Amino acid sequence: MPECVKISFTVNGENETREAEVGQTLLSFIRDELHLTGTKSGCEIGECGACTVLLNGKPVNSCLVLAVELDGKDLITIEGISKDGKLDKIQQSFIDHAAFQCGYCTPGMIISTKALLERKANPTDEDINEALSGNLCRCGAYQEIRAAVKDAAKK
Amino acid sequence: MLAYEYVKCNNLQEALQLLQSDEMVYPLAGGTDLIVGMRGGKFAPKKLLDIKNLDDLKVLTEDEQGITLGAAVTLNDIAEFAPVKTSIPILAEGCRSVGSYMIRNRATLAGNICNASPAADTSAPLYCLNAIVNIAGPEGDRTVPANEFFTGPGKNALKKGELVRSVIVPKPYPSGNGVYFKASRTGSVDLATVGVAVQSWGNKVMIAIGAVAPTPVRASSVEKAINENGEKDWAKAAALVRNDISPITDLRGSREYRYHVVEVLVRRGLEQTMGV
Amino acid sequence: MAELKCVGTTVSRTDAIEKVTGYAEYIEDRFLGPLLYLKMKKSTVAHGKIKKLDITRALEYPGVKTVLTGKDYKNKIGLYLVDRDFIAIDKVRYWGEPVALVVAVSEKIAAEAVELIDVEYEELPGVFDPFEALKPDAPIIHEDLGSYEVVPIFYPQEGTNIANHFKLRKGDTEKGFAEADLIIEKEYYVPQMQHVPIETHKAAAHWSPDGKLTVWSTAQSPNVVRQLLAKSFELPMHKIRVISSYIGGGFGGKAGAGLEGLVVPVAQKFPGHVARIVLNREEDMQGTFTRQAMYATLKTGVKKNGKITALDYKMIWDGGAYTEYGVNIVRSAGYNSTGAYEIPNVKTDSYCVYTNNSIGGPVRGFGMCEMQWGIERHMEYIAKELNLDPLEVRLLNGMKVGSTTAAGQVVEDVDFKKCIETVADQIKWGKKEPTSNGKLRGKGISGLVKCPAQPSNASSSAIIRINEDGTAHIMIGATEMGQGMLTVMSQIASEILHIPVDKIDIKVPDTDFTPYEWQSVGSRITYTCGTSVKRAAEDALGQIYTAAADLLQVPKEDLTFDGKKIYSTKDADKKATIAEVADSCKKCTGEGIAGPIIGRGSFIPSNMTNLDPETGQGNPGMFYCFGATGAEVEVDPETGVVTVLQLASSIDAGKAVNPQLCKCQLHGGTIMGLSTALYEEVKFDKGIMLNRNFTDYKISSIDNTPHIDSFIIETPETKGPFGARGIGEQPMIGVAPAIANAVCDALGVEFNTFPLTPERVWRALQEKK
Repeated sequence: MPECVKISFTVNGENETREAEVGQTLLSFIRDELHLTGTKSGCEIGECGACTVLLNGKPVNSCLVLAVELDGKDLITIEGISKDGKLDKIQQSFIDHAAFQCGYCTPGMIISTKALLERKANPTDEDINEALSGNLCRCGAYQEIRAAVKDAAKK
Repeated sequence: MLAYEYVKCNNLQEALQLLQSDEMVYPLAGGTDLIVGMRGGKFAPKKLLDIKNLDDLKVLTEDEQGITLGAAVTLNDIAEFAPVKTSIPILAEGCRSVGSYMIRNRATLAGNICNASPAADTSAPLYCLNAIVNIAGPEGDRTVPANEFFTGPGKNALKKGELVRSVIVPKPYPSGNGVYFKASRTGSVDLATVGVAVQSWGNKVMIAIGAVAPTPVRASSVEKAINENGEKDWAKAAALVRNDISPITDLRGSREYRYHVVEVLVRRGLEQTMGV
Repeated sequence: MAELKCVGTTVSRTDAIEKVTGYAEYIEDRFLGPLLYLKMKKSTVAHGKIKKLDITRALEYPGVKTVLTGKDYKNKIGLYLVDRDFIAIDKVRYWGEPVALVVAVSEKIAAEAVELIDVEYEELPGVFDPFEALKPDAPIIHEDLGSYEVVPIFYPQEGTNIANHFKLRKGDTEKGFAEADLIIEKEYYVPQMQHVPIETHKAAAHWSPDGKLTVWSTAQSPNVVRQLLAKSFELPMHKIRVISSYIGGGFGGKAGAGLEGLVVPVAQKFPGHVARIVLNREEDMQGTFTRQAMYATLKTGVKKNGKITALDYKMIWDGGAYTEYGVNIVRSAGYNSTGAYEIPNVKTDSYCVYTNNSIGGPVRGFGMCEMQWGIERHMEYIAKELNLDPLEVRLLNGMKVGSTTAAGQVVEDVDFKKCIETVADQIKWGKKEPTSNGKLRGKGISGLVKCPAQPSNASSSAIIRINEDGTAHIMIGATEMGQGMLTVMSQIASEILHIPVDKIDIKVPDTDFTPYEWQSVGSRITYTCGTSVKRAAEDALGQIYTAAADLLQVPKEDLTFDGKKIYSTKDADKKATIAEVADSCKKCTGEGIAGPIIGRGSFIPSNMTNLDPETGQGNPGMFYCFGATGAEVEVDPETGVVTVLQLASSIDAGKAVNPQLCKCQLHGGTIMGLSTALYEEVKFDKGIMLNRNFTDYKISSIDNTPHIDSFIIETPETKGPFGARGIGEQPMIGVAPAIANAVCDALGVEFNTFPLTPERVWRALQEKK
């Protein structure tokens, strides 16, 4: 019988207490328990970045974090990026530059971008490369994404 | 399948005690190798000990002995640590070569060396820095030089019940430049086809190479030619590296290519660190 | 034409806010109802008879509801050749083929129960390359090939492993070769690659007690799914509802049908439940369509001036274990086998051959990337042998208006010259760049062309409903997988109706509500669905004018509509708001004039014909989209690492309905081409796919993707909506050849295959020494 552990955390600014199955990944917990489906599964081995979330402000692959490790931490998912129904400047910039096509990698891409702009207000191309090289986009929107990130940094 | 008991450790003694158990118990730090392995059936722990909260393992300091990198410190934190950037930048390069930025926010140096892939990007730099692995165990602490810590592909020198406490890069630090070259298929997030670290120590050099043998290795023949016999023809010296490595052919590259590209990167490393 | 107000302008994607906020619904985000989780038991041999299959222990495992095997599925499935079982019956033909399906109350239980199924195989000798498969004594993979139902334009050969042989004979190649000053013959090889969309394949089904089947799927083509399920499960179409969601990348891999059929019997067995299957990345890579490998021999006769007099192209394709879709790629490559060039005498034989490798099927380009690799590398050999400029050779042979293709079809509305000169100019063709740091630089170019690969009667349709307040709904059967279809259709409707894009609603299809669309594949939707939407809008507008003419008592021809009101151009006081017309229009005295405005439009091509079975001659192309790619590279000769310094892509879109999204597609296809040029190759060992995850199947990431200079050429497609044609696949086609040509230029070596990994480049240099 999988063991359940009570965990307390914040998600997108809200306090929560839930039961997490020990064997469950954070990705699965976010989607199936918290019903926040913006975070996506693409590979389950930390290679594609579709599952990227902010854990205590740092971008991580939620497929490689266990749900139980969320205890005592702050989680931000894509749903927490826009506030009070207003788009974040990164989201608006992605729209303006059409920095997505199928949209499946987009939540992870925006989360990584959010973390980048918090670390580096004026990221260079090298900074962008380092921050986003773990977010794969098969549709090939990289050129638009780069432009969107630079534009968002200016705002 | 994933484990079914999770324990968040409160102190190192508790962790060491639990590691003594007859059951399959694994320490969990970043989890970026462990969880992948659990999903794929490579590891089947009955218990996971979360060691990320142990103060003993979160140490990241510099003192008169050298730089101490606690076992629970992430690769990004190590790469950003000022003394690392200033004094031993080759290690920062090695750390930053592992996976993606997200992976490095979780993965630890200790985890990278305990997983003991011969291709581990932190290994060759650690070899060139005379790094020491500080191990906590039921009979107290002991140390193992980094270049003896890898004992085979996926095998390390830890005995049952032991845990890496930290990795120490002792003073004196190298006086010259160091480089870590990673040949890969994409030049982006990828495993090393080969990894070559060349560290100048003034008029002496240390060279270590990953992904070319069951463990990372020192390029002893090259070092001997330069350090003992004063060889200054870097191409000639680099050619000797073939004696120090035994690469295989796998999905990432063939034996022949590995032999070749290691020699090229060793030569380039010497050119860049020991002067043209 | 009057100046356009919406078509040709960049508007934000209509799905933008959903996608940047994470609220866009993909299939897995919306399952409701008690769920059943499905996991496959997969074959561990590539070719074998199933001697024993014991599901007892799995059936008894707590939480398992049932286990299905091959005999639970009555019929086979196949789009063009019905050769595939949903679950293997008696025999497996590829490693990883499903042999049983566990249905359980959780994913975990299903996975655990899979391990309890005992299977024993009698391994049969496997065939892992098509040449082995063609040998007279080769093991036969499909013993019943002769009895399979097949669309009569494909020619499987019973008693062999040949699933299709496409023949093309144009002119007289014997004569053509005799006329030539020089004959050049080379062999080319293109390995398998995989789409690896970030969203894997998923499907779910629900059976209601009154016999209605609802299917959710990542499929690109819900109508084809409905059609194939109706056939395989003997159900009437009105009792099958296929619901699409946003698709997280398709690239052809989600065309046709497959997974959907697996879940149907489960749903039927457990009415009221949602039976769902989600492939993980490894299953997705080895168990869904893979691009067929191509082994080709290409022979050309050329005159001293570079004019090609004859072409003999033999292509042998590794179709994998099931070729229900692959047979068409082989045909499509065959009838386009001169690429962007006009060659008077052509002999092409294109074979689809069964092997025990993963299932071959549609991938972006549909045979063009592979076949035109041969053509575009061959142009280089021609240029080198004759000491001519490769650009000049391409211009000399390039198609123009009035040229005939390999199939003898006359091309219209083409400006290939402009496409290729544009990229050549961009990369400063002809100017040799100096080397630096020991690295070698080179430039390469490639032409490209593709027409949609589809049946000659593949049709589309659209319905537009005008709401009472003058906003509108568009209903179409095309799917949105990133290409921006929703936005482009809205713009086309907006242009005709003058209703702004943000007042138009459009959704992805639900076959209970949306009208027929053949498939969202082949770079055809802008053209076919776009024309349908345009016609539906014109039809709606016509109804608006008819009603308004009656209401206002003015001639219909005098009326115009600005999106808000309809008024007479002769007397502006004669006007009515759209609400007055669309909201059950009535006279001021009360009599009703017109009911709701429902516009209808459909499109079926009328310019495509059958192809002669012996000569392949006919009109297979609804339209032809040309383009070109130019690349400049820098190569490290010691490590073999190729760095792309410049990448220029041109596409003749006819009319860019949304210039920004058109460029996005151009960039996207170029990047996928780049990724295959340098990194991608599926590796098999006796049928086992070795690199079936992102650790060992590498694709382009942001940090190794150079800037792309993109050019949209607009030679109007006369019959396309506002002159537009589709461009989804084309940008990918020229990239691998252009980059390879550049590397060859830099190093003075030749490549007949790719990807140009550092090791492959290094080896070529070694051989040169």
